[in-house]
Amino acid sequence: MDTGPALVSILRQGSYLIASIHTALDDSQMIRFQEDLIEQIGQRRSRGVIIDVAALDVLDSFGSKTLRNIGEMARLRGATTVIVGIQPDVAFAMVSLGMGTGSLYTALDLEEGLEYLDRNVRKDPGAVGTTSSSLS
Amino acid sequence: MDEDSRIDSQTEADGVTNEHHREDELLPQLVAHLREHRSKLREEWAHRIQDAHLLHAMTPQEMAVETKSVYDNYVEVLETGSVEALQDYARDLSERIIPRGVETQEVVGIVLLLRDVLARSLFEKYQRDFALLNRVLDAYEPAANRIANTVAVSFVDERERVIRQQQDAIRELSTPVLPVRERLLVLPIIGVLDSERARQLTEQLLAGIRTHRAKVVVMDITGAPDVDQTVANHLVQTVDASRLMGASVIITGLSPKIAQTLVTIGVDLSKMNTIGDLQGGLEEAERLLGYTVSRQDGSAR
Amino acid sequence: MVQRFVHSRVANEAVADDIVQETLVRMLVAVERVEPGILEPYAIVTARNLVASMWREQERHRRNQHRIVDLRGPDSPDESLLEQEDRGAVAEALGRLSERDRRTLVAHEVSGQDTQSLAEELGVTAGAVAAQLNRSRARLRVEYLLALEPGGSVTDRCRPVLFAMSSGDRRRQREVDAARHLLECALCEKLSQPLLARGQRSDDQVRIRIHADADIVLARQSAREVAARLEFPRTDLTVIATAVSEIARNIVRFTEGGEVVVELLEEPRRGVRIVARDTGPGIPDVEAALVDGYSTYHGLGLGLPGARRLMDEFAVVSEVGRGTTVTMTKWRQEG
Repeated sequence: MDTGPALVSILRQGSYLIASIHTALDDSQMIRFQEDLIEQIGQRRSRGVIIDVAALDVLDSFGSKTLRNIGEMARLRGATTVIVGIQPDVAFAMVSLGMGTGSLYTALDLEEGLEYLDRNVRKDPGAVGTTSSSLS
Repeated sequence: MDEDSRIDSQTEADGVTNEHHREDELLPQLVAHLREHRSKLREEWAHRIQDAHLLHAMTPQEMAVETKSVYDNYVEVLETGSVEALQDYARDLSERIIPRGVETQEVVGIVLLLRDVLARSLFEKYQRDFALLNRVLDAYEPAANRIANTVAVSFVDERERVIRQQQDAIRELSTPVLPVRERLLVLPIIGVLDSERARQLTEQLLAGIRTHRAKVVVMDITGAPDVDQTVANHLVQTVDASRLMGASVIITGLSPKIAQTLVTIGVDLSKMNTIGDLQGGLEEAERLLGYTVSRQDGSAR
Repeated sequence: MVQRFVHSRVANEAVADDIVQETLVRMLVAVERVEPGILEPYAIVTARNLVASMWREQERHRRNQHRIVDLRGPDSPDESLLEQEDRGAVAEALGRLSERDRRTLVAHEVSGQDTQSLAEELGVTAGAVAAQLNRSRARLRVEYLLALEPGGSVTDRCRPVLFAMSSGDRRRQREVDAARHLLECALCEKLSQPLLARGQRSDDQVRIRIHADADIVLARQSAREVAARLEFPRTDLTVIATAVSEIARNIVRFTEGGEVVVELLEEPRRGVRIVARDTGPGIPDVEAALVDGYSTYHGLGLGLPGARRLMDEFAVVSEVGRGTTVTMTKWRQEG
C-alpha cells in the first residue's frame, strides 16, 4: 500500500484487477507495485490482471523483468496477466535492447486486454495455467 | 591606367618594402581591370563554355543571364573577400539547374574556365613585368580557388539536399501500410531494404498497428530481393515489437535465400509464422482473426 | 606571458559568455549615470571587470575541465597590463564594425531601442535588424579575440572561418570549409575554442549525479529532453532513454555513485553522447560483461550489451579498483 495513488492505481472489476501505472516508476517503486499487486491478487482471488503501461515512456530490462515476474507470480496464484498499452517506440526499444515479455500476454489497450481475459480465463479455478502461447 | 604605371614604377624602385601593400593595392587593381573589360571577358568565357560543351541544358538567353551574374559575383568576391553573396547566388543557381540535370563537373568546369579566362587576361596585361605578374597572380589565385571551391561546395550541398528529399519521398512510397480489413494490415516490402529503410518500416508498422488497432499483420517480402544480416535482425525485431503491441505477424514470400540468411543468423523460424505466398498469408490471417472467435466459444464450454 | 594569461582566461570562459555583449548590457544599466563622452572608456572598463569576475566564477564552478589551461590566479602582477590589453581589444573590436553595424548595436544594447523601431528607422524588417544584430555580435566576438592576439598572423581565410564559428552557422562553416582551416591555422584553432565553448554551454550539456533509484529515472528523462532538442525521432529518443536507464542502473547497483553526462554533438555529425562515470570497483573482464547474460546481480544481464545494441557507438573503459566509464553515442539520421 506504499504505492500512492498518484503513481499507480489498482482497481477491481469483477474477478479482474486493472492496474494502471500513471508515471515513470523507479526500481523501488516498481518493486512496491509488484508486491501490492500480488497481495491484492491473493486477497481478492482475482482471475485476471491487466497492467496498463501506456504512460511509461521507457520499459528497460528491470521494468520488463518486473512485469514478467508479476506474470509468473500471478500465475502461481491462479491469475492470468495481460500487459496492455506498450507504445510503439517503447516496443521498438524493448526488442532492440533484447527484451520481450517472455510468456506474458500483450494486447493493444485496455479494451483488447479485457476481451482477451474474457476469452481465455476459465470460470472454474482448476484451469488457470492454460493461457500460455508464448510471445517471446 | 595611371595607377598601373604608378605601381610599376614603385615596384622597380622599391620592390621589397612594398611587400606588405601587395594585397591591399593589387586586388583593387585587378577588380578595376576585370570590371572595365567585363563584356569582352564574359563573352570570351561564354565561348569557352560552349566549346567545352558545358551547360547544354541551358538556352543561350539563360546562359547570358547566368554568366553575367556569375561574372559579377565573381568580381565582387575578389573585391570584398567575402563569399557570402556568392554562396547565396550559387545555392540559388544550383536549385534552379539541378532539376535540369546539370552535373557537378559542369558547374566546377565553368567556374574553372572563368578563372582561366580572367587569369589569361591578367597575364596579357602584366606580361611586360614578370615580377609584377607573379605578384598579381599570387593575389588572384588563392581568391579564385576559393571562389571555385565555394561554388562547388554550394552546388554539392544543394544536390545532396535534393537527393535526400527524393529518397525520403521514395521511402514514404515504398513502405505503405495497407489496412486490408478491420484489424488486418498488409505490409508489402518492395525493393532493397537497407537498415535505414528497415528502421522506418518498423516505425511505420508499429504506428499503423496502433492507428488501425491491428491484430494481425501480413508482411509480404516477395518483392525484396535480398536481406543482409542487419536487415534480417531488424525484421525479427519488428515481429517481436509487433507482438508487444498485441499484433501477430505473418511473413509471406520468404525466398529460400532469405530463409537461409535467417537460419544462419540464428533466427528460430519455428517461432515465426511464415506462409508461402501472400494469398496463403491472407487466408491464415483471416483464420487467426476468426480463430479468436471460435476459441472463445471453445474455452467457454 | 601576459598574452598567454589573457588567452587562458578567454579560452576558459570569458568569451564563452560573450563578454562584449555583456558589457553593452551593463552599459545599458549604467547609461543614466554615465556622461555620453565617456561611454566608450566605460565600456572598456566594464569589459575588463567582466573578464575578471567571470573568470573567478568559472573557476568556482569549474568541473570536468577537459582542456589543460593555464590557471594562474587573477591576482597576478600582470593585472594592469591585462587591463590595457582589454581596453585596446574592446575598442579595436568596436572599431572594426561598420558604422551602421556599430550604430545599430549600440542603439539596441545601450540605448535599449527595440528591433521594431530600429527597423522603421532603417527601412527594413524587424527580422532583418535582428539578423544584423546577431551578425554584429558574432563579428564583435571575432574581432575582440583577434585584437587580443596582435601577433597572430591573420590570413584572408581566418575572418570568414571565425565568423562562421562565432555565429554558430553550420552551413557557413561547411561553406568556408572551417574544419579544414582549423586544422591548418593554429591561430584560428586556438580562437575557435572559446567560440565553440560558447555554444556548448548549459543547454547542450546536462549532468546528473547518480546515487539512488530515483536518479535512474531522472537521468533517462534528462537524456530524452536534451536529445529532443536535436529533433531525434521519437523512437530514437526512447532508445536513448532506455540505454541511459541501463547504464545508470549499473552505477546504482554496483558502485557508491557516479554521474551521467548527456551532451549534444555537432561534429562530425549531429548526435547525442552519453558518458557515464563511476568510481566503483571496476569491471574485471569488460569483454565478458559485454556478452548477454553476464550479470552479477539478479537482473537479466542486459545492462551493458543491451545498451550497446541500442546505441550507434559504445565504449567501456574500466579499471579495477578505480571505476568505469561508459561512453555511448547516438547519431541523428539526417534527411
